[in-house]
Amino acid sequence: MSTHGHFAEKFKDILLGRAFHMSLIIFVLLAFLYFSGGTSIILSILIQVAVFSIITMSLNLEAGYTGIPQFGRVAAVIAGAFAVGAIPGRIMAFFMSLPYGAEYASDTVNVKLVPQINAVLAGSWLLSLGFLLMCIVIAGAAGALVGWLISRPAIRLKEAYLGISMLAIGDFLMWVGHNWNIIVGGSVPVYVPDPFRIFGAARFNVIVPAFFLIAIIIFIYLNRLVKSPLGRNFRMLRDNELSASAAGLDIVKVRTQSLVIGACIAAIGGGLYVIYTGSVAAIGMTRLTFTFWPWAYMMLGAIGSNVGVFLGVFLLTILRTMIIIYRSQWFGFLQAAGIDPLWLEYTLLGAVIIIVILFLPYGLVPEKVRPMLPANRVKKVISQKQMQT
Amino acid sequence: MLTVRKLNAGYGKLQVLYDLSIEVPAKGLTVVVGPNGAGKTTLLCSIMNIAKVFSGEILFEGNSLIGELTHNLAQKGIAYVPQMGNVFAGLSVMDNLHMAGYMLSKAEADAKAEQMTEIFPVLKKFIHRSAGTLSGGERRMLAIAMGLMKNPKLMLLDELSTDLAPIIAERVMMEVARMRDELGITILMVEQMAKRALEIGDTAYLLVSGQVKYSGQANSLLHEPELCSMYLGIKQLPGQGETKLSVAEEGSEGN
Amino acid sequence: MPPWMSSGLIYASGLALTAGSITLLYIATRTFNFAVASMATIGFYTVYTGVALYGGLPYQYFPLALLVGAITGVICYYGLNRPLLRRQAAEITLMMSTLGYDLVLLSLIQMYADFLTNTYKLFPRRVTMSLYDFELFGDRAAAFILPVIAIGILMILHIFLTKTKFGVAMRATIENPVLAGASGINSDRVYLVSWIISGGMAALGGAFMAMAMTGTPVMGMYTIPLMFAGAILGGLGSIYGGILGGFVIGLTEYAGVFLLSQKFGAWVLGYRMGIPLFIMAATLLIFPRGLSGIPLFKILKSLAGGSLGGEKRGVSA
Repeated sequence: MSTHGHFAEKFKDILLGRAFHMSLIIFVLLAFLYFSGGTSIILSILIQVAVFSIITMSLNLEAGYTGIPQFGRVAAVIAGAFAVGAIPGRIMAFFMSLPYGAEYASDTVNVKLVPQINAVLAGSWLLSLGFLLMCIVIAGAAGALVGWLISRPAIRLKEAYLGISMLAIGDFLMWVGHNWNIIVGGSVPVYVPDPFRIFGAARFNVIVPAFFLIAIIIFIYLNRLVKSPLGRNFRMLRDNELSASAAGLDIVKVRTQSLVIGACIAAIGGGLYVIYTGSVAAIGMTRLTFTFWPWAYMMLGAIGSNVGVFLGVFLLTILRTMIIIYRSQWFGFLQAAGIDPLWLEYTLLGAVIIIVILFLPYGLVPEKVRPMLPANRVKKVISQKQMQT
Repeated sequence: MLTVRKLNAGYGKLQVLYDLSIEVPAKGLTVVVGPNGAGKTTLLCSIMNIAKVFSGEILFEGNSLIGELTHNLAQKGIAYVPQMGNVFAGLSVMDNLHMAGYMLSKAEADAKAEQMTEIFPVLKKFIHRSAGTLSGGERRMLAIAMGLMKNPKLMLLDELSTDLAPIIAERVMMEVARMRDELGITILMVEQMAKRALEIGDTAYLLVSGQVKYSGQANSLLHEPELCSMYLGIKQLPGQGETKLSVAEEGSEGN
Repeated sequence: MPPWMSSGLIYASGLALTAGSITLLYIATRTFNFAVASMATIGFYTVYTGVALYGGLPYQYFPLALLVGAITGVICYYGLNRPLLRRQAAEITLMMSTLGYDLVLLSLIQMYADFLTNTYKLFPRRVTMSLYDFELFGDRAAAFILPVIAIGILMILHIFLTKTKFGVAMRATIENPVLAGASGINSDRVYLVSWIISGGMAALGGAFMAMAMTGTPVMGMYTIPLMFAGAILGGLGSIYGGILGGFVIGLTEYAGVFLLSQKFGAWVLGYRMGIPLFIMAATLLIFPRGLSGIPLFKILKSLAGGSLGGEKRGVSA
């Protein structure tokens, strides 16, 4: 087969592929939103896509590739969000000899402290970049720690028990943050110093490429990871736990690895999210937003394919945004009855999950089943062996 | 009574049976033997619409059974005794019998259960014990009784002798022969204990890798030394003719 | 009765029903029903709508809550669960499907709350149901009535499952669907009845719980981890275990909060959810199969005559 024909074939595959069609739909919707709503909507969609792609890719690693029923994704996201809300600002406050103890998170002090830190950050791009990197490292570390802690009891549990336990842990962490003032202010949101302050009004224009860069790095890392021997272990565990352990796989270890790596990435997503919003409200870190939506994104895109995950996040984020923007135009009849059309977001979430399960069990862009060695290489190896003998 | 024609069946995408045709004559004991994995259980599961039928015909008294829901088959007079899990372990023996006769009325079921305890006296002793506490042989008796509860025209028996002590297995086999002889029930039996089954059976099919390798008189299969030793592990030829008679006698004595 | 105890009894009775509902459905259909959260909230709103619009006592609307819960169960069965069961979907898929249903119900509940606010000028987003209760023996009547109703339901269920033909058929199908099908039992109908019973129990449980806590549209969503904790504590093997597990979780939450807040101060209240979860975790570490893994419980179960949920669910092929 000539290389030219090969490329033409590949190109045809892409054109006919579901991924391409989905991208087209996304592009059309984005264009529609741009012309009717303007740049700010597009920017906010893109930022959300970047953040939730990161979180959903981490979920995909654990649920899609390793087969762990991760119903507590929010726990790791909370770890990242709380860590970024609590630690980097305190470090800055320490070096600026401002109060950095328990009082840092109290509402009266925090509201005065953070603008001072922001002023310093806005003065130096090097410091801002350093601060951003510090946030990412701290978030990742906190996530890895929480992931490891969760993996300890989780190893003993099976399928649904595991899922429910992780869900409960996620909820519990939210309540801890809501009640324990000194982490992120309890019921009063704590502000997060802004490493993008230096760009002033163009803040969002910079956040988009920055976040996308981070998301792409994670995407590449995860794609390499799932093709590595470790990634193969993950999939072995997913496909058949019993035969994986019979093949000599240390299930406890592999599961822990998946949980820790996944939690680390999800926490980075959580950290970026609070940097973007500029504050951490513990009560806002719900399992609805950070566990169930990512599950819907993943299921719509494709369980076990990160390209699918990305497209799923994109499509659903656009639809969510459209409900918010056009609620009075499209759903006026609800408003007339005194009903807030924003609740349709839940309906959308539930309906997407149901429709995907009933009609698209493998998602829009299904995972390609690739043999570990392509068939032609296997044939080559066999023929070589035969030649030798 | 039951005709299977050109049946292709399996589970999901896995095909187990290939162009299989068998004929179960009325009032007879048809035995299906063959090595492990030949598709014997799958044959029964396809009749009961538990396995997936890809193509072919299954006719019961002239009507097609394909696509018929499992619980409706019981109403048509087909009783199925699975190999594993053939009693409800959590239910009492009495409840097991009543469940087996689910489509009977209360009075009918009571009478029928009473009859069963007469046929299988061992069940009477344990009538209020949960079936999970019965021994292997008693469970098998209960399973057969549960099959009979339905007043079946056709009984499908799946490897009744599995993991029973030889002497108990022998008794179970005799009960099967007695069902045919005394109750006149048509029986399609899949059996690992090939020699004994072929001795009491009328018609036999040898299944290998999802295809029929032999069909004909049950006794005659025992005289095919090559097939017997290759697929059934039977080395020694049995005596001729008298085997069936002796079973019937033993059966009546054992009562 | 001290206030924590009366509230605890009310709340625990509700949690027992919801945990029992989860367990029943799990052993019957392998489905972990997330929608119990919204079903419980729907039960509460049914009763609330009754007392707020038509007056009377909450108790007289309980049958209506049962009915509404059963209907939400039937819808979920026909629309979602049955096609998936036929397809022999994985446990996780079944669980996710009920999550989708739960979110749709949640959105409807929220819209209904908006509707009540605007049309009837009610305040359905923070409801204190105990205001509609009456006094009995110097205490809230609910503290006596609700545990009695819960025990009554348990007894009716027990009689249904052991003495009626269809109840025994349900146990038979749950234990061995293949054999039950071959015996002429229509498993479809068994699953439908499981959804009806568990939907009704979930809705009634929600109506119970609202008598002790503040009724909100997200009430079920916030308490679902505890309902699951109850079911898991009960071992997911028998419906009696589930009901007991829910009761234990509910009562320890109130007792624990009371005891700890006396010792450490009121700040403990914020972490109340941690107490039952801690108990669940501790139990699972000692008895990985929950309460029904405790030998004593097994003995009790066998004394009670027959278990729901058999030893084997294997399908021979």
